[in-house]
Amino acid sequence: MHPQPNAPDPKRFEVSRATLWFDRFMGWAIRFGGIGVIIAVFGIFYFIGKEVVPLFRAADVEPAGKLEAPAAATGVLGIDEWGELPFFYQAGGPVAFRPVAGGDGFELEVPGLEGAEVTATAYDPVHRRVALGLADGRVGSFLVEYARSHGDDAEVSAKVTPEPWFPLKSGAGPVTAVSYGDSGGGRIIVAKRGAGPDATTTVLRLAMKRGLIGAGKLTALGEVEITTELGAEPLILRASQNGSMVLAACANGEIDYFLANGAEVTKRQSFSPFDGEVPRQMDYLFGGVSIIVTGPGGEQEQWSLFRESEDAERMFGLTQTFPPLGDGDVLFAASQRNRTFLTGAGGHLSIRHSTSGKTRWEGEAEIAPAAAVLDGKGEHFLVVSASGEARRYSVEDPHPEAGWKAFFGKVWYEGGSGPVYQWQSTGGSDDFEPKLSLMPLIFGSLKGTAYALLFSVPVALLAAVFSAAFLPLSVKRIVKPTMEIMSSLPSVVLGFLAGLWLAPILETRVPSVMAMLIAVPASALVMGFAWCRLPIRFRNRFANGSEWMMVVPVLALAGWLGWQAGPLIESIFFVYQDPATGREIADFRLWWPQATGLSFEQRNSLVLGFMMGFAVIPVIFTIAEDALSNVPKSLTAASSALGANRWQVVWTVMLPVASSGIFSALMIGFGRAVGETMIMVMATGNTPVTEWNIFNGMRTLSANIAVELPEAPVGSTHYRTLFLGAVVLFLMTFVMNTVAEVLRQRLREKNKIV
Amino acid sequence: MSDALPPNSGFRTTGRSRRGEPWVWLTAAGLAIGVIMALGLFLLILLKGTASFWPRPIDVMEVRVAEGATEKIAGFVTQESTRSEPDGTEHREIQVFRGNKDIRPEAFVFIDEANIASRSRPEDLMWVERMEYGPGIIEPVALETPEGRIEAADPSFHDKLDAVIERSEQAREEILDIERHQIGRISRELEKHERAERSGEKTAQELAGRRAELQASFEKLQAQSGAIHDKLKETKLVGRTVDGADVSYTSDVLVRTFMPNAAGFFDRLGEALSRAGAFLSEDPREANTEGGVFPAIFGTVVMTLAMSFFVTPFGVIAAIYLREYASQGLMVQFVRISVNNLAGVPSIVFGVFGLAFFVYTVGGTVDQWFFADKLPTPTYGTPGILWASLTLALLTLPVVIVATEEALAAVPRGVREAALACGASKWQTIQRVVLPASLPGILTGVILAMARGAGEVAPLMLVGVVKLAPSLPIDSIAPFVHPERKFMHLGFHIYDLGFQSPDAEAAKPIVYATALLLIVVVVTLNLSAILIRNKLKKRFAVSSF
Repeated sequence: MHPQPNAPDPKRFEVSRATLWFDRFMGWAIRFGGIGVIIAVFGIFYFIGKEVVPLFRAADVEPAGKLEAPAAATGVLGIDEWGELPFFYQAGGPVAFRPVAGGDGFELEVPGLEGAEVTATAYDPVHRRVALGLADGRVGSFLVEYARSHGDDAEVSAKVTPEPWFPLKSGAGPVTAVSYGDSGGGRIIVAKRGAGPDATTTVLRLAMKRGLIGAGKLTALGEVEITTELGAEPLILRASQNGSMVLAACANGEIDYFLANGAEVTKRQSFSPFDGEVPRQMDYLFGGVSIIVTGPGGEQEQWSLFRESEDAERMFGLTQTFPPLGDGDVLFAASQRNRTFLTGAGGHLSIRHSTSGKTRWEGEAEIAPAAAVLDGKGEHFLVVSASGEARRYSVEDPHPEAGWKAFFGKVWYEGGSGPVYQWQSTGGSDDFEPKLSLMPLIFGSLKGTAYALLFSVPVALLAAVFSAAFLPLSVKRIVKPTMEIMSSLPSVVLGFLAGLWLAPILETRVPSVMAMLIAVPASALVMGFAWCRLPIRFRNRFANGSEWMMVVPVLALAGWLGWQAGPLIESIFFVYQDPATGREIADFRLWWPQATGLSFEQRNSLVLGFMMGFAVIPVIFTIAEDALSNVPKSLTAASSALGANRWQVVWTVMLPVASSGIFSALMIGFGRAVGETMIMVMATGNTPVTEWNIFNGMRTLSANIAVELPEAPVGSTHYRTLFLGAVVLFLMTFVMNTVAEVLRQRLREKNKIV
Repeated sequence: MSDALPPNSGFRTTGRSRRGEPWVWLTAAGLAIGVIMALGLFLLILLKGTASFWPRPIDVMEVRVAEGATEKIAGFVTQESTRSEPDGTEHREIQVFRGNKDIRPEAFVFIDEANIASRSRPEDLMWVERMEYGPGIIEPVALETPEGRIEAADPSFHDKLDAVIERSEQAREEILDIERHQIGRISRELEKHERAERSGEKTAQELAGRRAELQASFEKLQAQSGAIHDKLKETKLVGRTVDGADVSYTSDVLVRTFMPNAAGFFDRLGEALSRAGAFLSEDPREANTEGGVFPAIFGTVVMTLAMSFFVTPFGVIAAIYLREYASQGLMVQFVRISVNNLAGVPSIVFGVFGLAFFVYTVGGTVDQWFFADKLPTPTYGTPGILWASLTLALLTLPVVIVATEEALAAVPRGVREAALACGASKWQTIQRVVLPASLPGILTGVILAMARGAGEVAPLMLVGVVKLAPSLPIDSIAPFVHPERKFMHLGFHIYDLGFQSPDAEAAKPIVYATALLLIVVVVTLNLSAILIRNKLKKRFAVSSF
C-alpha cells in the first residue's frame, strides 16, 4: 500500500540514534575534558604545595635495630660515614667493631699501646680521631679509618692507625683530660695533668713536617702552659676541630677561651654562663664556631663566636637557649652536616637545631644511654648503655633548618651579631649555613612594586580618565589598542633596555630626571591654566578631546628644559666634597652617599620603576578605562545637564562611580608588578637589601626563583624554600586578583541597576 | 558630556568653564606620556635594531697617546659621553669599535676627543667578518691562491674574493655535513652498541667487527673533512691594519667582506639586507655574539606552535564546558574567577610548577618506564622543549578559556534557539552554529596566547631553554621530532647575551636585532588579534537585534 502523500512519516520526527548517541557522547566528553582541565589547573596548587610541605615536618625517628656492644664500653663511641660499622673503645682495651647489620664483630688492638695505662680519652668525629692521655704523661691519638668497597654488596672495612706519642714536659702525674684539634697542617693537643688545685694544663702545638718523600712527619713545635691563666682547675677541655682555639670549663664556673695563633696561645675571653656553676657538658657544634653548654639545672645554651661591632674581636656570646634537660649524665652528639645535635639526659633524648633553637624530635630511649653518636649523613644515631646494650635509630629530618621562624622571622645565625632577616642560600665552604629568610625577598618584591606603581599609577589613571571622559571615539579606537600592545611587550626586552640602555643614561643624569619629573606635569597644568584664558574664538578652532595632542609639544619642551637644567641643578644642590682634598665636585652619584649614607648603584629602583611602567601602565590603564567608560551615560549626561563642566562631571560623577573599578585596576597592576621577573632580574642589582633607598636595587622573590632554582639540588631545603617563595608570590597575586575581580563584578552589577 | 553638544550651539562656554581645566590638561598629559612611551619604545627598538645591520663608515683617527707619539685607530664610534675630571674640566669621550680582537683583546677603545689629531675615511678599508675573533678592519693587500697572487689594486680582486668566500662557505657546509650527520650517525650507532653490551644483549666479540668498521669509516670521514680544511687554508687574504701590522686570513675563516667607505647608499642597503638575511638564517658563532639566531627563531616557533597545539583543544573544551554544559551556579562562578585570576599569576610560578610536575614527576616516570636503559642519564626527566611548551600551554590556558567563553557568550541566543527549533541536538547546535560563529573569538584568544607565550622567558629558564643547543628539536635524524631536547629561544637569547655574555658590549648590536625580531613577532600576533576582534565586533553588531 502506498502511503498517503500528505501523511507525515512518524519517523520523520524521530532523531536518528546516531545523532542522539553522538550528542550524549560529546556531552560527556566535554564534561570530562572540561572538568579535567579545571582540575589540572588547580593541580598547580597541589603540586607546588606538595614540594613545600616537607619543610614543615618534624623529624621522624624510628628504632632501627639493636646490637650488642662490649660490656662497659662507654668510653668512646664512633661510627663510619655510612652508619654501618660503629666502634666502641674503652680506655686501654681494644677497639671493638660491631656491624649494625648483625653478624660477628671484630676487635683491633691499638698498636704501640702495650703496657701503657690510658687515663684520658676524647673523640673527634670529624677526623674520627681518638685522642689519648697516658698515665706516664704522654699524649697522642689513633685514627679509625674506614673504607667501603664498591658494588652492590658494598662492605665497610676498618683499620686503626696510631699517630706518634708526645711526652708532655710540664706538669706531673697522669694525663687526666685531653682534647685534639686538627686543621690539616697545624694541630694542637690540650691536656691536663694531675687533679685538684695542682693540676697543670698545657697546649701542645704539632705540625706536619713535609719530607721530600712520604707523607711527612708529625713533630712537636712547642708547649704553652696555660695553668696560670685559667680561673680555676679545668674540668672540661675542648680544642676546636680546626685547631685554632681551646675552651676550658673551670671549677669556678667560668669558661676560658684561648686562641691558638702561631706560637702564641692567648686568653681572649672568660665568660660564665651559669653564674659560677660548673657546666655539666660543653661541646662544639659542626663548624667549630659555636658550643653547646648544659648547666647544672639542665638548662642548655648555645654560645657562639661573633663580633659585637665591626671592628671588635670575635668573642663568645649567648645566642640561643634550649628547653632544659633532666637529671643524669648529659649525652651530646653533633651532626657532621648541619647545626643539629642529639642530646639528652636520664634516658630522655632530643634532636635539636641550634640556629632555630627548635627541638626537632623528642623521645625516650629504650635503654639508659651512656653515649651516643650520629652518623655522617645524619640518617641514623646509635646510643649505648653502660651495660653494653646498643640501640640504633633511623632519623628522617632532611630540613632541620626550615620552619616558619627561619623563613619569616629574625634568626640569629652563627657568626652574626644579632638576629637578622637574611637570604644567602649558598656559600663556599662545607660548614656554610644557608640563610633562608624570605623577608628580604618579600621586601624586595614590595619595594620594586612600590617604585613601579609610584610612576605608573599616576600616568595610567590620568590617561584612563582622559581616554574615558574626553577622547573622541574614533581616536580611542586607535589609542587604546596601542596601549594594549604595550602590555604585550616581552618583559625580557624591557629588562634588557632598562639594564643596558636606560641605566647607563640615567646614572649621570639623576638631577635631570628630577627636574623632568617636576617640569612635565607642571607644564601641563600651566598649559591648562593658560589655555582657558585664551580667547574663545581661538580655542574653538580646536576640537574637544584633542588636548592630548596639543600638550605634546609643551611636554616635550618642558622635558627638554628639565633634562638640560639637570647639570645646573647638580652644580647648585648636589655638590660633593672630597673629604681628602676638600675639593668640590658636582656629582649626584657621589653626593647621595655622602649626604644620606645610602648607596648609589647604576641599576636602581628609579630605572626599574620607569621600565616597569611599560609593563604596568597598560594593565592599569585598560581596566581603569573600562571602569570609567562603563559609567552609565545617564549619570554623566544628567550631571552635564545640571550645569557641571566637564571636569566636574569627571570629578563628582565618573570617578566616584567607577572608584571600585579603579581600585581593582590598581590591585591587578600590583599583581602584575609583583610577579614580574625578567625586568627585575635584569634591571636591579639582585642584592637582597632591606632599605627603601631609591638609588639601589633589590632582590625580588620572582627574580630569586629564576636565578637560583636551576642551580638548586632537587629536594634540598634550598629547592623547597624557592618553592615556598613561589607559593608566597602566588598567594600575593591570587588574593589581590580575586579581590579585584569580585570588586569588578560588583561594579558591573551596580552599573546595571542604574 | 560636552562632546555630545553640536558644534557652535552657543552653549559651549559652559563646557569650557575655566574651573578644573588644568586638571583636564593634566589627564591629557598622562595619555600623551603613555602613548609617547609606547611609540617611543617601539621606535627605539626599531632604530637600534635596524641600525645594527647598517654598515657604518670606518674612520681612521690619529690619536695622540703621549708627548709626540700618535697611534692610528680605525673603527666607528659607538658611543659619545661627557666625562668631568676631578679638576673640573670636561672631556668629550668617544667609544670606538676597532675590532681585530686577534691582535688586541680589547675590541673597544675610549678616546678623548681632544686627543684626536686627524680623522679620515680612506676608501680602501675593508671590513672582514671572520669565523672567530669578531670582525677585522684591514687594508687589503692581496689574495694569495694556489693559482697565484692577485693584488688588491687588480680590478678582478673583489670578484675573486667573493668567489673565494662563496667557495669557503660551501666547503664549511660540507664539513658540517660530515661532522654533524655522518660522524653523528657513527657515534649514535656506537652508543647503541654500548647500551646493548651493558644490558647483555650482545657481547663485545659480536660487536667487535662492526665497531672496527665504524672506526675505519670515522677515520676516513675525519680525513675527508681535514682535507677540505687544508684545501681552504691554501687560499689567503693578506692585508695590513692601519697601524701597520700584517695580517693574513686563510679562506676557511672568511665569512663576509665589505668596503664600507667606498660603498654608495644602495651598496650599503644591499649589504644591510644581506646581513639581516644572514642574521635570520645562520647559526650563532663565538658564544652567540656573532653570526645569526636561526636556532633561536626555530626554537621559539616550534615551542610556540607546540604550545598552541596543546592549549587550543583544552582551552576550548574547558570553555565550552563552563559556558554550555555546566550549570551556572556559585561553583562555576568561583571556577570562572579562579581561571580569570590564573592569568594574573606570575609566570615564574608556572615555571616552578612545570619543573616540579612535568620535568621531575612526569618526565622522571617516563624515564623509568621507557628509558630505563639510559638511566641515570635522564631522557625526559630533564628540562626540554616538550615540558616548556606544556608549561606555557598551562600559562596561556586562562587566556584561551576567557576569550573562548566571551566568544561563546556573544553568540546571540536567538541563533541557538533557531538551531534547536530546527531539531538540532545540543552538540549539533554547538558544532554547527555556535562554534563557527565564535571561531574568530577563539582565534583571537589563541593568537593572544601565542603572543604571550612567544614573549615569555622567565618560566622557560626553568623548564628547557639553553643558551646554545647543539641540535634543533626537529631535524633529519630519526625519529625527526625530538621533544626531549633543550632549545634556544629569542627572549632568552636577549637575556643571555645582554647579561651573561663575556663581551656584552660587542654583543649589543645582536641583542638589539634580536629584540627587534621578537617585538615584531609579538606585535604582529597582537595586531592580528586586535584586527580579528574589531571585525568580530562589527559582525555581531549587525547580527544582534
